[in-house]
Amino acid sequence: MKIIWSLTICLLVGAAGYAQALDLKNLDRLSAKASDTTDVTLDGSLLKLAAKFLSANDPDQAKIKKLVAELKGIYVKTFEFENEGAYSESDVTAIRSQLKSPGWSRIVTVHSSKDGDNAEVYLNTGGSDGGLAIICANPKQLTVVNIVGKIDLDELSELGGNLGVPKIDIEKEKPKPPKKEDD
Amino acid sequence: MSYLEDDLKMALRRTEPPEDFAKRVLTRANAPAPPEPAWWGRLAVLLRPPRVQWVALSIVASIIIPVAGVQYRKERQLRAEGEKAREQLVFAVRVAGSKLHHVQQKVLEMGRMDTRL
Repeated sequence: MKIIWSLTICLLVGAAGYAQALDLKNLDRLSAKASDTTDVTLDGSLLKLAAKFLSANDPDQAKIKKLVAELKGIYVKTFEFENEGAYSESDVTAIRSQLKSPGWSRIVTVHSSKDGDNAEVYLNTGGSDGGLAIICANPKQLTVVNIVGKIDLDELSELGGNLGVPKIDIEKEKPKPPKKEDD
Repeated sequence: MSYLEDDLKMALRRTEPPEDFAKRVLTRANAPAPPEPAWWGRLAVLLRPPRVQWVALSIVASIIIPVAGVQYRKERQLRAEGEKAREQLVFAVRVAGSKLHHVQQKVLEMGRMDTRL
């Protein structure tokens, strides 16, 4: 009886630990239609190994090292398509439905009718680990990001804006003083 | 006669073997072959100094070299996996960050448009 209880507890604990990583397997079939596919799966052990190899001397890598210190997983899937309509709304809905579970809350939704860009950012604040999910969809591209663990959104955004690009301070154009009218 | 010739004569002069020479040769030739030593006897030869040092050294080397080789291969494999994982991590953070940055920019743009209106 004790063994059954222990097994049940182990399964529940395992399930709770894994609960915050989204199941993105339904997107795998899109890779057949996509012209470019990127799939990054970094779970706890691989993430720790990767972090060990980040250089402390490289400023960007040092920032990443600090950023991922408390993370438990990073999962990224991107698909680029030659033609529009290669993926259906149901593909995205399957991800969205997972994000309706308790703990997840949508913090931003951006819809641009001009270029067909749709972006949603979800935060998991319910669990002890925390997490982030980003869904970016436009007619020819679909990107899903799932980060498990506590992450600083400002730092992440800053890294996304600056990675690989050196910081250049450009002085903002000063407003020209109004011309004096000649009397 | 020169000294050289004297020396040569001295060196090449006939000398008789000792009396029991022929007997000793015959005795040794007819003697039975010594018994083949047992395997432990042959092994024991290796343990006599100074051979024992070389045997010990070769045993240690035969253990250390393969172990070090396996360890080196493991280390190299781990390093390759780590490098690959690092590249993936940098890429993943770049994608996640750029998408988040993109969303932030969109929100900021919309905010600006709202204030203009």
